[in-house]
Amino acid sequence: MGAHAKYSKRLGIFAFMLVAMVIALGFRLVDFQVVRAEEIQQASLDRREVTRTLTALRGNIVDSNGQVLAKTVFRYDINAAPKNVGPVRTARDGVIVERSVMEIALELAPLLGLDLDDLLTRLDGDGEYVNLAKLVDADTYNQIRDLNVPWIFWDRFADRLYPNGAVAGNLLGFVGQDGTPLAGLERQYNTCLAGVDGQETYERSAEGVRIPTSNVTTQPIEDGGTLNLSIDSNLQFFAQQVLANTVTELDAEWASAVVIEVETGRILAAAEAPSVDPNDPAAVPSADRGSRIFQTSFEPGSIMKSVTTGMVLDSGVADEYDTVDAPDRLYLDFNNEYIKDSFDHEDFTLSLAGVLRYSSNTGMTEFGRQIDRDVRGDYLEKFGFGVPTSLRFEGESGGILRPASQWDEMTNLTTLFGQGLAVTPIQMAYAYQALANGGVRLDPILVDSCTSADGTVYYKPNQVSTRVISESAAKVNLEAMEKVVEFGGVGKTAGIPGYRVAGKTGTAEISENGVYLDEYAISFYGVAPAENPKFVVGVTIYRPVGVSNSAMATPPFKAIMQQALKHYRVPPSTTESRNIPSDRNGLVDEND
Amino acid sequence: MRVFMLSAQEARKLRPSMVSALVFVLGLVAVFALQLGLNMMVTQDAYQLRALQAEKRDLATDVQIIQEEVASLGSPQNLADAAHQLGMVANPSSVLLDIQTNRVFGEPTPADGESLGIASANLVANSALGSTSRFITASLLDAELLAGVSTDSNTVAGVTLQSGLIPASPTR
Repeated sequence: MGAHAKYSKRLGIFAFMLVAMVIALGFRLVDFQVVRAEEIQQASLDRREVTRTLTALRGNIVDSNGQVLAKTVFRYDINAAPKNVGPVRTARDGVIVERSVMEIALELAPLLGLDLDDLLTRLDGDGEYVNLAKLVDADTYNQIRDLNVPWIFWDRFADRLYPNGAVAGNLLGFVGQDGTPLAGLERQYNTCLAGVDGQETYERSAEGVRIPTSNVTTQPIEDGGTLNLSIDSNLQFFAQQVLANTVTELDAEWASAVVIEVETGRILAAAEAPSVDPNDPAAVPSADRGSRIFQTSFEPGSIMKSVTTGMVLDSGVADEYDTVDAPDRLYLDFNNEYIKDSFDHEDFTLSLAGVLRYSSNTGMTEFGRQIDRDVRGDYLEKFGFGVPTSLRFEGESGGILRPASQWDEMTNLTTLFGQGLAVTPIQMAYAYQALANGGVRLDPILVDSCTSADGTVYYKPNQVSTRVISESAAKVNLEAMEKVVEFGGVGKTAGIPGYRVAGKTGTAEISENGVYLDEYAISFYGVAPAENPKFVVGVTIYRPVGVSNSAMATPPFKAIMQQALKHYRVPPSTTESRNIPSDRNGLVDEND
Repeated sequence: MRVFMLSAQEARKLRPSMVSALVFVLGLVAVFALQLGLNMMVTQDAYQLRALQAEKRDLATDVQIIQEEVASLGSPQNLADAAHQLGMVANPSSVLLDIQTNRVFGEPTPADGESLGIASANLVANSALGSTSRFITASLLDAELLAGVSTDSNTVAGVTLQSGLIPASPTR
């Protein structure tokens, strides 16, 4: 064999092996790139891909000035891995510093609110997880993180914060630890406040670093909307201060105060005492966690008389100059029953203003029973009694108002002066709003709107107005109510220097199991300035100890109304009230 | 496959050009270097992105802490207590001036701390009250001198003594 043939043979073998290798690699390539391509790509992606939930933030609740009443903040659960607990070495200014477990524990314990022994006990063992503290605030979390302890780790949670505490707490309600709304506006408007969680998928390297340009957001996050309340938190706080003081002084079971802007029907304050701090609702009994303004009804007593005088004037049964005989006892023509006034007196001759001024049950009966009972029933319904308001607040009561056709002979008369029916503080406040607003009752507004971050309005209330009595009747009625504050024994104490105030006292006996007790719900509901009403303030104090008249209800009314007038820069009155008869002889008072 | 035997002269003619090879190799090196550089930049950016995201999270935490402090200091409960510490009492009497007519509405009446139903110190619970305002006796006295008023000594009994001139709202 020559050299040429020898080289040719070797080259041939080499070429064959080369081709065989290329074919083998080609097969492998086709296998990887074509046959198993999808499977391999998926396996690779599975190893790199991470999916995480993007938690939507629950929306804020703000007052009419944008002051935040409820917001979402982050809290942290602090955990440790006991099996990794040991000394920690850290470089500080180029020097390696070793901290012992005891040194770390001494720093950690006060931050976690644990005593040292308790902390060391928890860190002992060979487990991978132990919780050291739940829901610590961001500042504490920062301090713990700055300790740079590798065996400490944490979980972040969204939590609810109410920066103003119990201010409007009974309205706001609260959420549970898992973020579930449990009461109040938090629950009622959950659709507005709750956001929609998003989901994000991305790829990360073996070191856990996100691979750039790999983001795939599968579901965009949608934060909750902002609930804009009509409440003015400054006025609300003031009213709550006054009521807290009142409840303590009178040892009362509870007290409520409602402030309404007459022309708009917006609730500026709905204050109660005791109140609940939504940051810590468990601190008060469950009975104090709701809103009695909406959820509790009571027999109103004499504050109902202003409503009845409005009916009398509107129905044309009498005007401001007409009078009736008003003895201290009015004997009825059935069952030997009688109606009596709250104090003994000689026979009076009273006008409508006189009936209000002396809070005469007998005089009110004489005027009121001239109106057909069905007509009165219709009036009461139009004033908003007997059904919950359009707000449909959580657990709202409609009070008790039986159909007029079912009234017995006594109820037919007692409803004229606030017995035989029950109302909620909000219902009574809106009846007065109607009297102050030229006879037109507006639907209450507590939530102005629900808006998204970009200003989109999700919800706006649809306010309905109801003509209850004529404008002229409402005007005369307010003039009659002014006489309560000008001349009334107790009503005088509700007077505000510089302003014309119209209102009515109420002292209602509380009944239990059909028996009236020697306990009272005392009230004062009023309007100012009477010549151009801006605000209705209604105060009710339930079961004050040792108090049997409404004298103690006027100071809180006066304080809150005065604050509202001052706060909203309402100029004092420049006119005098009209001279209409209001004395015991049915004449204009000599001092008028 | 066919194999040809060439003379040394012919083989030299067919030898690839050194310049072409050099250009080819340098080109390859340049491409690889460029790719490496781009990869390094992208990787560096990925780390930087992670660091920035961590910084953003930390800053958001700091913002939350500050917002909570501001909310606490701005809460009506803190303001009421602060006003009370300063010896202030609520004055319900309003006096308004109409600047167009120079007319004064209302009767100026001094504030009465004993007024029934008007509480100046806070009575409304707030367990979220973290940071609160404290005032300095020396600052109060200086402020009184400037304003020409005096403080009821009973109302400043509990004031914490700190240094500084302007009534400050120390946080933590």
